[in-house]
Amino acid sequence: MLLELKNIFKWVTQGGKRIYLLSDLNFKVEEGEFISIMGPSGSGKSTLLNVIGMLDGFQEGEYNFLEQPVHTMKDKERSKLYKEYIGFVFQAYHLIDELTVYENIETPLLYKNIKSSERKALVADMLDRFNIVGKKDLFPNQLSGGQQQLVGIARALITKPKLILADEPTGNLNSKQSEEIMQLFKELNQEGVTIIQATHSESNAAYGSRILHLLDGRRDNT
Amino acid sequence: MIRNYIKIAFRNLWKDRTFTALNIIGLTTAFGIAFLLSMYALFELSYDRFHENIGSIYKVYTDEQTAKGTESSETNPIPFADALREEVPGVDKISRYVTGGTLLTYDGETFQVTSAGVDPEYFDIFSFPIVEGNKTNPISEKLSIVISRKVATAIFGKEMPIGKTVMVQSEGENVPVGISAVFENIPAASSMDVDVIVNIKNLPDSFYKNNLNNWSAHNHAVYMKLANGISPAQFEKSTKDFSALHYAENIANAKRDGAQADAKGNFRQIKLLPVEDQSFVVIKDGLLSVNKTLQYIVLGIAFLILFIASVNFINMSLAKSAQRLREIGMRKTLGAGKSQLFIQFWGESVIVFIVAVVLGGFLAFTLLKPFQTLFNTSASFSSISNPLIVFGAILCVLLITLIAGGYPAFMMSRMDTLQALKAKLKVNGNNRLRNVLMVVQFSIAIILISGTIVLWQQLDYLRNKDLGFNKEQVISFPINTKQDPNNVLQLLRNEFSTDPNILSVSAADNNFGLGRDGSRMRSVLGFDYKNRQVSTHLISVDYDYAETLDIELLEGRSFNRKYASDSLSVMINEAMVKELGEENPLNANLFLGDSIKYSVIGIVKNFNFESLSRGVQPLTLFMDGESPMGYVYVKVVPNNLADTYAGVRKVWNKIEPDTEFLGSFLDENIDRTLKRERHMTTMISSGSILAIILSCIGLFAISLLVVSQRRKEIGIRKVVGASVSTITVLLTKDFLKLVGIAFLIATPIAWYATSKWLENYVYRIDLNLWIFLAAGVMALIIAVLTISFRTIQAALKNPVESLKTE
Repeated sequence: MLLELKNIFKWVTQGGKRIYLLSDLNFKVEEGEFISIMGPSGSGKSTLLNVIGMLDGFQEGEYNFLEQPVHTMKDKERSKLYKEYIGFVFQAYHLIDELTVYENIETPLLYKNIKSSERKALVADMLDRFNIVGKKDLFPNQLSGGQQQLVGIARALITKPKLILADEPTGNLNSKQSEEIMQLFKELNQEGVTIIQATHSESNAAYGSRILHLLDGRRDNT
Repeated sequence: MIRNYIKIAFRNLWKDRTFTALNIIGLTTAFGIAFLLSMYALFELSYDRFHENIGSIYKVYTDEQTAKGTESSETNPIPFADALREEVPGVDKISRYVTGGTLLTYDGETFQVTSAGVDPEYFDIFSFPIVEGNKTNPISEKLSIVISRKVATAIFGKEMPIGKTVMVQSEGENVPVGISAVFENIPAASSMDVDVIVNIKNLPDSFYKNNLNNWSAHNHAVYMKLANGISPAQFEKSTKDFSALHYAENIANAKRDGAQADAKGNFRQIKLLPVEDQSFVVIKDGLLSVNKTLQYIVLGIAFLILFIASVNFINMSLAKSAQRLREIGMRKTLGAGKSQLFIQFWGESVIVFIVAVVLGGFLAFTLLKPFQTLFNTSASFSSISNPLIVFGAILCVLLITLIAGGYPAFMMSRMDTLQALKAKLKVNGNNRLRNVLMVVQFSIAIILISGTIVLWQQLDYLRNKDLGFNKEQVISFPINTKQDPNNVLQLLRNEFSTDPNILSVSAADNNFGLGRDGSRMRSVLGFDYKNRQVSTHLISVDYDYAETLDIELLEGRSFNRKYASDSLSVMINEAMVKELGEENPLNANLFLGDSIKYSVIGIVKNFNFESLSRGVQPLTLFMDGESPMGYVYVKVVPNNLADTYAGVRKVWNKIEPDTEFLGSFLDENIDRTLKRERHMTTMISSGSILAIILSCIGLFAISLLVVSQRRKEIGIRKVVGASVSTITVLLTKDFLKLVGIAFLIATPIAWYATSKWLENYVYRIDLNLWIFLAAGVMALIIAVLTISFRTIQAALKNPVESLKTE
């Protein structure tokens, strides 16, 4: 088992009233799964991904990642954990504008203190694999949306994570580009990477092995 | 990793070129000027600290209780030093010290030099190393002198000076003396600066021998080195009996006149002034005190300027961080730790600071020459380059970089990942800090501007004040001559009498203000009048003194050639009338010195014969015809002053071709005494101009950012019908509020500081609110101009453009 959420509650207080973002959520993920989270806007998809990605906390419940209790961890341990095992892919790509394609992909390795020669080899592999060797010295704003997302995925994969969290990865792309990206995810999944994606699109969700429906922060089992 | 940081840093700095340039320009100017100012201040503060014995060497002075209060005296009688050594424990070395000017003649050439008469131990107390000749006891023999390397080169060139004989002018005669040693040139930061040193015993008899047992003729300073293990306070305490013994008569007189004993019951207290403090001595109300305010103000201005520039940097970095939120969030998601982010952002600041410090260094280096001329200082990089100061400077720069560069970096690295990623930032906290910093910045600027205005007005007031004599039309010059001065004076009178441009000629033993010879003296005499001790300043004058200087005669007459008895007559000023307390002063007879009776023949209106920092003291004018005249006064016709001046010089050169003509108009002399004020004014006004420019750079940058952040808002407002002017007002008013607050904070501080400063002056302007309002309005106008540059542009923009981007 890769991770397990038990009775997760997350809320914000507005005008003295609790508004539940996640409520009594139970969720298990095995290694090698490809899960799609679906639901309307505001149903808690992104919040759930952020909680799983340890970028966001929660008020109640337990979260175990690789048998380790995330909810009792200190910031530092938590960040060590996600640095090691989790890669993020965003709807808006979130590439760093000041860095070239090459440098964007390299950045996570820098924060893991990997040696220069090893970094070079890893980044070169990745560029090769995604067929973007020719674009390595370009800046993000010189690329199309699909290419930017490709770089985003390459960057997420560079640290060889066990889990990829993708928040509407194709939301800003046209249908042809989305299809390519989803195809890529499928291949990655077949290579053993666990993927959790949040999506609006039925066709994208169909790539996954399992679909989790959310409504107002709860599992929607209807 | 580091390479990556540096690369990103440069890309970021390049991307925001405008801000980077504004920051670098601001910081470079600030560092450059701060370097110069602190160099000046540190140089001044380092005066006399080069002596090896510093810390144990002191100047001996005395606080006397008189009927008018406590008065400090820095001069001592001839037998004082030896007696002190004999009778009071704790004197390790002691030397008398008196300076003067003299003429040296060698091989037909005459050199004007400054000289000092000292005791042999002088060379043990102070570090003026002998480089050639007799090193152990250079001034032991009569008729031998020690000269500085500079003078040795000037007189002898490459020849060996030791053993050579030069002619020294002494009491009108030329005496041959031998050069026994050469001492190293005295460092620039020395308050004792002489060319020639002689044994005080070899000075004229009228100075030395005749006063061997005279305890009432105070004519020189005394320096001593305190023995190990004795504190100055201990020493001062143990001089009690010494004073009581040797000054019994003075103390008795003081008691008779109603003087009050000091807190310890003494009427005379010998005190020790550390030598390193002696260049900061000021005499206020007769009392000696050490005042380093000017130096600290200058140092303070340097720091204020750096502070303002650093505030700019902090404000710009914080405001800019809003644009980098996404990057921060992304980096955190990719695993960056707080410390890694801090190092990255701080690194960018460090690059800017390094560039600014280096450029600032260059700036200071290029401005050094004009700076030295402007402030008449020999402060330079080398003059303050001791390891401690260099280390301190590096530490300062590092500290500023750490705080100014580190604070924004710290704030950015602390941001919450998710919020940063969503580019949501709680801006209130940051804005409050920004506002506080801007208020402080503008307060500083307003304080400096009002300081500048007050200083200018005071300086102008002092320059144009009616001093009670004609300073525009009178040239004074020293009679530096090997001939008999009174003879030269007569020759000059004869020459000038035929010149239609010259209205009147007179002479006196003293100059007004500070002449080009740079010498000043004062002669004060205390005597008994009707069983009461009174004191008066003395000036020996020649005929036509009052007439030449346009000094107003209130009663009686002035000296006149018709009356032979005028050599026993005196004229006194109003202050002296008051000192005497005489109803009918024209009937008064004064017994001065050796009970010779002088009668008062005239009363003159008070005129400022001394520095303007003192009021008009009681004064007696003599004309005994014997005292040597030191300065000639020539009153000339008011038109064509330059030509007339040249004419006077020509006459001098004809009569005395050997020495240089050092004449100048009296108003120039007065101006020279205001050197301190002038420097301070220049320094504070340049400081305030810089402060305003830097504050404006900051304001401009912030307005750029605010406008770009509120672009959408401006667009929407325009769409719903706001006019250009309402938008401009909207964008400007927040800043103006800050300037307003700054004004309210700055005015009381400026008022307090300037009024404190003005208290140093007997003659001073009145402070009024207008000065401070003017400073505030000036800051406001400049601020409005700076901001509106960008805001009007923003308000004029087509709203479609600004809304399109979203």
